[in-house]
Amino acid sequence: MNRRIQRLKQRLDTDVYPICVEKACLVMEAYRQSEGDPAILRRAKATAHYLDHKTIFIEDDELIVGNFACKPLGLEAGSLGPTWDKENLDELRKQGLTLSDEDETLLRSMDDYWKGKGRILEERQGQFYDDERLWPFIQSGILCPPWQNKYEGRGLGAAGVGWGLGVGQSLIIVDYALVMNYGLNQITRDAASELKTLRYFSSEDIKKADFLRSVIIINEALVRLSRRYADLAGDMARKETDATRKNELKMIAEICHRVPGEPARTFREAMQSFWFTWCMIAQGTTPGGRFDQFMYPFYTKDKQEARLNDEDVLELLECLRIKVMQYNFVGGGKMQRNKWAGMARWHNWVIGGVNADGEDVTNELSYLILEAAKDCRTPHHTITVRVHEKTPEALMLKALEVVKTGIGMPAFIGDKSYIQYLMNHGVSLREARDYALAGCLDLNLAGKSRISAIGMFIVPLVFEITMNNGVDWRTGRQLGPKTGEFESFRAFADVMKAFREQLAYFMSLAAEEHNILLRAQTELFPDAFHSCLMDNAIKEGKDVLDRTMPFENGSMLNPIGMINVADAMTAIKKLVFDDKKVAKKEMKAALDADWQGDRYQQIRKMCLAAPKYGNGDSYADTIAREVYQYWTDIAVTFPTAWGGTMKPAGISITSHVPAGSYTGATPDGRCAGETLADGTMSAAQGRDTNGPTALIRSAFTIDQIPFQSTLLNVKFHPSALGTTEDLKKLSALIKTYFEFGGKHIQFNVVDRDMLVEAQKHPEKHRDLIVRVAGYSAYFISLGKAVQDEIIGRTEYAKTA
Amino acid sequence: MQKQPSRKKNVKPAENIQGFVFNIQHYSIHDGPGIRTTVFTKGCPLSCVWCQNPESQSIAPQLFFTSEKCTGCGACAAVCPENAITIADGKSRTNRLLCKGAGQCAAVCPNEARNIMGKQMTAGEVFKDVNADAVFYKRSGGGVTISGGEPLAQPDFTRAIFRLCKEAGLATALDTCGHAKWDIFKSLLPYVDVVLYDFKHLDIGAHWELTGVSNELILENAGRITREFPGITFVARIPVVPSCNDDKENISRTAQFIKELGKPIKVHLLPYHRLGETKYERLEKPGTLKITPPTEAHMEELRRLVESLGLTAVIGG
Repeated sequence: MNRRIQRLKQRLDTDVYPICVEKACLVMEAYRQSEGDPAILRRAKATAHYLDHKTIFIEDDELIVGNFACKPLGLEAGSLGPTWDKENLDELRKQGLTLSDEDETLLRSMDDYWKGKGRILEERQGQFYDDERLWPFIQSGILCPPWQNKYEGRGLGAAGVGWGLGVGQSLIIVDYALVMNYGLNQITRDAASELKTLRYFSSEDIKKADFLRSVIIINEALVRLSRRYADLAGDMARKETDATRKNELKMIAEICHRVPGEPARTFREAMQSFWFTWCMIAQGTTPGGRFDQFMYPFYTKDKQEARLNDEDVLELLECLRIKVMQYNFVGGGKMQRNKWAGMARWHNWVIGGVNADGEDVTNELSYLILEAAKDCRTPHHTITVRVHEKTPEALMLKALEVVKTGIGMPAFIGDKSYIQYLMNHGVSLREARDYALAGCLDLNLAGKSRISAIGMFIVPLVFEITMNNGVDWRTGRQLGPKTGEFESFRAFADVMKAFREQLAYFMSLAAEEHNILLRAQTELFPDAFHSCLMDNAIKEGKDVLDRTMPFENGSMLNPIGMINVADAMTAIKKLVFDDKKVAKKEMKAALDADWQGDRYQQIRKMCLAAPKYGNGDSYADTIAREVYQYWTDIAVTFPTAWGGTMKPAGISITSHVPAGSYTGATPDGRCAGETLADGTMSAAQGRDTNGPTALIRSAFTIDQIPFQSTLLNVKFHPSALGTTEDLKKLSALIKTYFEFGGKHIQFNVVDRDMLVEAQKHPEKHRDLIVRVAGYSAYFISLGKAVQDEIIGRTEYAKTA
Repeated sequence: MQKQPSRKKNVKPAENIQGFVFNIQHYSIHDGPGIRTTVFTKGCPLSCVWCQNPESQSIAPQLFFTSEKCTGCGACAAVCPENAITIADGKSRTNRLLCKGAGQCAAVCPNEARNIMGKQMTAGEVFKDVNADAVFYKRSGGGVTISGGEPLAQPDFTRAIFRLCKEAGLATALDTCGHAKWDIFKSLLPYVDVVLYDFKHLDIGAHWELTGVSNELILENAGRITREFPGITFVARIPVVPSCNDDKENISRTAQFIKELGKPIKVHLLPYHRLGETKYERLEKPGTLKITPPTEAHMEELRRLVESLGLTAVIGG
């Protein structure tokens, strides 16, 4: 880090984040004046009003400009609905968010405008839950977390949801290259000329006119905003006494005067153009697309013309990381916030991979993006490396050097499985090769697809219901079909059959929930800015939430804790049906008692000792394969409200923690309330005791191609990544995983604190590998003295 | 089995040869090239004063007792076929003279205080386990390492595993102390790609004192391996144990000896570690010497010393 970056980074170092109300006030002002207009125009006008009047500032040392909230590191309170209730606000305040009493009163005064009129997402969705089928399902928490009432959903209130003015459209990769190469002004002109020739013979034509007008309003507003930054930078330059900074400010003024209205000509202009665009669509998760690809032409041109060197580029990439860090997000009620673990953000920049011809496209920027992450060490944005057979070993090693620093990035994804998935859904090979990720690892094609609904479906709850013949034991309600009492099943296949039937039923409800959500978003959150940066946007003339995309994956069904179910089924097969060591009645009673009692403790021990997924043991792995197969087969049978079918995804974020908290004991030996397995391909915590190759062999067993995403977490001690030779071996491990169908893998490289924790709670860290001496071993298998020694050594390594 | 008619009748097929193993370590990345699986066999002819794998010295399975975990519940005493276990002061006590390592106690212990180190396996079972990772070896240039203990203490078993590996196209490495009859080496080296060969001390007397055996056979075997099996990659490994063998004179003499073997040989200098100390407690054996691991500076000094003699040396494996 150079001194500029150090200073900028230092300013991020705070525990206090102000909640701002400027945006809420401006949006409300605009909304009151546009009563009666169609939603898309109202939102365009409100956005324009906000952009024209928002507070802007340029901080010292900044090279890329454009602020979010009206105060540094602030979060603008959600502008399209009532804010948090008192209890939630108090809790947020304890966590470091500040809100003055006057601002709170101001926010409260706006609540009435929204409440009770179906203008907010939850209310609109709630109108469909007034029946005996969906409402109990929504309350059950199978889609995590459960709703409290029909008006507030999973808890109202949000801050920092961005200028995009939306809440549900974050998993969209817009065509950034379009802004940089074409310019917003040209898009505006295209829209105007399309509007001029438009004739009205269908309702689509009429909707199109509203859409085109909205595009013009928003784009013109964003260009005006960039000019305000240009003027501000110019003013600051005039007043600046330091000659260097004066020049920088002059440069910023020139850049902002040009982009994003006109095409970018240099790398600096392209960075600034990207940033304005990114700000406009910023949400809790805002993908950066194939950043090393669309930025590369600007990089090479500037290098050729000696306009900048790699040090300058690194500085700019680090400035960008700082800008991303300035943007915070917090939304929903307490349970919802737990699901996202505080201020989690998933701004994912994808690097590497192949071009349409299948040739490797790793370039100098790919390396510089990694170097920026290593050097700057901020948690956001994250980076994902697309890996294929010909990914250069140098890129793998560079990426693993970053992993080694313990910042948990980059993640690695396998081109082979992702591309095959797209082709199985009719995308051409050439187009499929251009995929990128939105969110942590959900596949999208920039401009050609978008994801909106991706609920967290807690599979172990459906397993419980299966064990109880369709009854939710918490409420005593018959929630699912009657598939038979567990005690009445004669063969293991009967259990699986009942589970599959329950799963299909509850997935159908989840699909309905998702469709209601999609439709509510179409009505409430049309967004001309996102929309005009999608494929063939002006000709198509439709909002991004009101069209079927070339690759339609708007709605995902996403299983949480499936591995716990696989292990649970394995234990049942082994103990109840194959070895007949535990009677069905006993097994059920043990679960109901949460293993309390001597005999039940004994049963739990047997359950824990039964084969587990993640050890390369086919007894367990084939069951995991089968239950995942149910999921992928069933998911695609449901149509979505936006066209196409539901798609299976496989991510858990951190929802396996709250989801576990309200799931009872499961036959994998898990106690009630314990965290569920993370990801989709990871083993349940501490259950994989046979090394990473065995875990990966288990993951091979599962057919991952039908999944739009899967997730595999692997934890290593830093000593397993000591030398370049070690990194080469890890690189081989990754490539082998992808060769045999893996989609994604990421690494935790744990340090001292984790080891100390592992000492205190060894049961939770059974799979922690440490480099002992001439060999590696599981940390918890070592005696305390040895553990102490290794802990000591780790710290020594830190100072070295 | 029918596919190999060349085998003599009445000879046990390689798959069925049995031996004792105390660990199979997958993704073993520091015991030879690439991603490897290391098979740790039991039994060793040496008894080094610094030994950090005492559970590997005896061929027979042994009880590993973690006293902190024992609650003295008595479940073990009730099932022991040798009546070797008594309960006193809230802990179980095992008469090691009676214990045969059968492991009934480990099966019933509710607290995982009792584990049996070492299990009897057939070469076929070991092969099946290590072959599961074949795809990882292939890409990384890795393979299977047999370590110990001393793999040559169970020569038929070790040879059978290597042979099965070779027949399946897996690369192999032997990690050995070198103390075995030449005939054993000769019968087994055709199935080996890499030999990791330990040099503990160059002086006969010192070697005797530190390991319980003379080094003559070891040094002689080293010469014969490099001469008679020139295709094998020979890696020299020197455990650096302070106050035992880490003096410059010994390291320099060792390096000289290695150099005189006449081919480019890579030297691994392995710093002594204390990671086996708790194992002595668990075997209820008298502890090893209290030795402080060498400093990084000292290791670096020795590395330079070895390199100054024209060899390539690295610290660690």
